[in-house]
Amino acid sequence: MALDRKFIGKTYPSFTYDVSREKIREYARAIKSVDPHHFDETFAKQSRYGAIIAPPTFAVIFHACMIEPFFGDRELNIDMARIMHGEQSFEFFEPVRAGDYITTSLKIHDIQNKEKADLVTIEAASKNQHGRDVCRGLYTFLHRK
Amino acid sequence: MKIEKGREISAHEKVDRYRSIIYAGASGDFNPIHIDPEFAKKLGLGGSILHGLCTLAFVAKSVTDCTGDPGSLRKLSCRFSAPVLSGDEINISGSVAEVQDSRGRIDLKVVNQNGLEVLQKVVAEVDA
Repeated sequence: MALDRKFIGKTYPSFTYDVSREKIREYARAIKSVDPHHFDETFAKQSRYGAIIAPPTFAVIFHACMIEPFFGDRELNIDMARIMHGEQSFEFFEPVRAGDYITTSLKIHDIQNKEKADLVTIEAASKNQHGRDVCRGLYTFLHRK
Repeated sequence: MKIEKGREISAHEKVDRYRSIIYAGASGDFNPIHIDPEFAKKLGLGGSILHGLCTLAFVAKSVTDCTGDPGSLRKLSCRFSAPVLSGDEINISGSVAEVQDSRGRIDLKVVNQNGLEVLQKVVAEVDA
């Protein structure tokens, strides 16, 4: 059954994620980064950011906390076996620092019904504990028919 | 490093056998297509496939390694066009297409060892 376009604009409760230095390092190692901004406390303190910062794409971790409830939304009736990640775009604002609290809200940005698949785009928007924008991500998934 | 028009970027990643498992642990995405080769084969894939967002993270890294500042990336987008398998090689290349209002736009090509584009429409914007 096609994903109903009436769900465009649907929002989900926001979620706050605590950023730890070690999670930043774990993620940075996973993407094979050796940038001292993510690993070296002394270097980071002297950098323009004054603290260890996360790689920009670390945003996927706090976004994932929101995307799971979306996939599990019974009203949408999504079959995970038919889901593929089609497109991605990020806008980055203030970097994420170790110790930050990042609050993300999620909404269904768009749904398009195509011949072979439905395209659903969700928007995850994240702010830090100071209320400043950190990252906005648009995730487009294909739900194959 | 200074971002100016025409400046080139290139990077190379060899996808080691356990990368998708390590990335799954770090990112929390344990979809079986990424960590279970048997499951992935049943879906007609050649084996477990690397997370597209890991490939995109490699691209982000290639850009910020060039600027020398992970906080300099302003935008990044792509289309996921072909799966990346363990053992694959990812070649990232691009150049600064234009610099305007202190922003540099970088158009990138991301291909595997056979020249197949694994990502398409790859665009990054950085502080210049």
